[in-house]
Amino acid sequence: MLRLYATIQKELLILVRDKAGIAILFLMPMAMIIIMALIQDAPFRDYQELNIPLLLINNDKGDLGKTIEKGLTDSKIFRITKIQGDDSILKQSVSKGKYEIGILIPQYSSQLLNAKIKQFVAQKLKEAGLADPFSPQMLFKELQIHIVFAPTTKKSFRSSILGSLNQSATQLEIQTLLNDFSKTINKDQSAPTDSVPSMDFIKISEISTIETPKEALQLNSVQHNVPAWTIFGMFFIVLSLAGSIIKERQDGSYTRLRTMPGSYSTIITGKISAYLFVCLIQCGLMLLVGMYLLPHLGLPQLVIGHNLLLIAVIALCTGLAATGYGIVIGTLFNTQQQSSAFGSVSIVILAALGGIWVPVYVMPHIIRFIADFSPLYWALSAFQKVFLGQGTISDILPSLAKLIAFFLLSLVIVNYYNKLKNR
Amino acid sequence: MTPDYAIKIDHLSKKYKGAVIPAVNELSLNISRGSIFGLLGPNGAGKTTLISMLCGLIKPSGGRLSILGLTPEKDLEKIKYKIGIVPQEIALYTTLTAYENLRFIGHMYGLKSDRLKNKISECMEIAGLQPFAFKLVQTFSGGMKRRLNLVAGILNDPEILFLDEPTVGVDVQSRNAITEHLKLLNKQGCTIVYTSHLMEEAQNLCTDIALIDNGVIIARGNPDEMINENETANLEQLFLKLTGKKLRD
Repeated sequence: MLRLYATIQKELLILVRDKAGIAILFLMPMAMIIIMALIQDAPFRDYQELNIPLLLINNDKGDLGKTIEKGLTDSKIFRITKIQGDDSILKQSVSKGKYEIGILIPQYSSQLLNAKIKQFVAQKLKEAGLADPFSPQMLFKELQIHIVFAPTTKKSFRSSILGSLNQSATQLEIQTLLNDFSKTINKDQSAPTDSVPSMDFIKISEISTIETPKEALQLNSVQHNVPAWTIFGMFFIVLSLAGSIIKERQDGSYTRLRTMPGSYSTIITGKISAYLFVCLIQCGLMLLVGMYLLPHLGLPQLVIGHNLLLIAVIALCTGLAATGYGIVIGTLFNTQQQSSAFGSVSIVILAALGGIWVPVYVMPHIIRFIADFSPLYWALSAFQKVFLGQGTISDILPSLAKLIAFFLLSLVIVNYYNKLKNR
Repeated sequence: MTPDYAIKIDHLSKKYKGAVIPAVNELSLNISRGSIFGLLGPNGAGKTTLISMLCGLIKPSGGRLSILGLTPEKDLEKIKYKIGIVPQEIALYTTLTAYENLRFIGHMYGLKSDRLKNKISECMEIAGLQPFAFKLVQTFSGGMKRRLNLVAGILNDPEILFLDEPTVGVDVQSRNAITEHLKLLNKQGCTIVYTSHLMEEAQNLCTDIALIDNGVIIARGNPDEMINENETANLEQLFLKLTGKKLRD
């Protein structure tokens, strides 16, 4: 026990006095959390929070213009600017980049819609023999609502906006059509227009994946980036740990340690314990950054749920995987240059594959498949299950088991390699 | 009964995997208790391999080995308490203080409390480093580091001390301090096994030497007697006479 204590004490003293190492372990992930959370805030934000600038030229004074305008306002997606004008003003304003979207509702659109519907109803009634077969046929010009997108607007977003507008227009068409039919059939011109029931027979409602819907969270920039870069920072301990092992080997301390009483596994256990302790401190500090610093930068607050014990268990397993990886690299590589080059590049690759930079769900299928082999992904998915979905131990057990298996495999590799080398 | 020999080596061999010839080849050697034994040889002669086997760092391919009557295969842990090692490299943590380095090593030998403090204080005095006990080792001169490296190897009061070029790269004063202290340790009963390329130092320090080349002992005895027998002026000439002038890698 004294040897284990001595090793932990020695490792912690060395770590604390390594200013550059401390900066990498603590400041780098903190900086990454802040920078990436700020950069990715907009793409992550729900459209509801986006405040997309929209220019609305509503030249119609009737129901159609009002319905569309109300729909746009109620959606809370847009920051709407209303002006009077024509197509050329609409195009000019959007092409200058001042607005993302421009919509023009032409003059008398509502009257035109009503007239078209009246004509349609009369036509249908005539076909059914319910109206005067000699009623006059009028020709109306086509009713068009003009929409202009900025060239940079994403295709998926264009489709979504067009779909919503079409839906509003169709709903109004049907509503007006039914009103007209109703009035004509009842021959009661004074019947209220709201006598026709609303056409929302099918309701689509969103349900939460967790039991307490008010606590339901969506993946936002903070919820993604804080655990992601915390894990990345924890894995960067690989560089310090591998460097420490290689330095001991190069300066003869390893030889001296092996001639001292006690097994080498005690020394390795001491190293793992010290670095694991640092990993846990790192994790705690980074979560605090997410909870208390990021809101001051205009970002949402990190929500970690209520199960602190579960978070500690995830941090512990992540730390074990990171230290295990560090010991493997420190054992297999001969120089600090080799270990730091391989260590940092491999962590960046594992991070990219593991969804640290961007969430895995936006990646192609093949990458999503490969992601499942990254320890950083296992850790991230465990954190997110607890943060976002309020997962229980059974939900994250597969991820934890993989992290622990990775750690144990690392120890097996190191043990086997050392035996082979000292044969 | 205390064995007469600190180290007994009987037909010891070590052949590394993939090597054509063994690094140590059927080598037999007894080292008396209380001697200062110099193991000399050119680069690649097999000195480090032999010392590594004596310290239990690598396993022999063949032969038998006894350290203070104990065999490494069975009693490695017991042997570890009885030996000390001073590697050629400065095997110290440079971002720790001298005191912290010795405290760590002391803890590894199971030393603690006042016993450890007293031992550290004693070692600091021997190394002439007491005023620098709480300074980081990275601020030390080469000589100071060497002296600390030496006392780190004797913190556990070893019965056998293995030294691999303990005075390489240090000034004359530090070298003198180190050799004087080795003589003092030897007087106190510590057997010293010493390797060096400094022939003059070996000649002055050692009571017994063995010249090793190609994994076998090519000469053995008291340095002065060997110099006389071979009619050479000093140990360096004897070394060159027996190992040749061909460059070694």
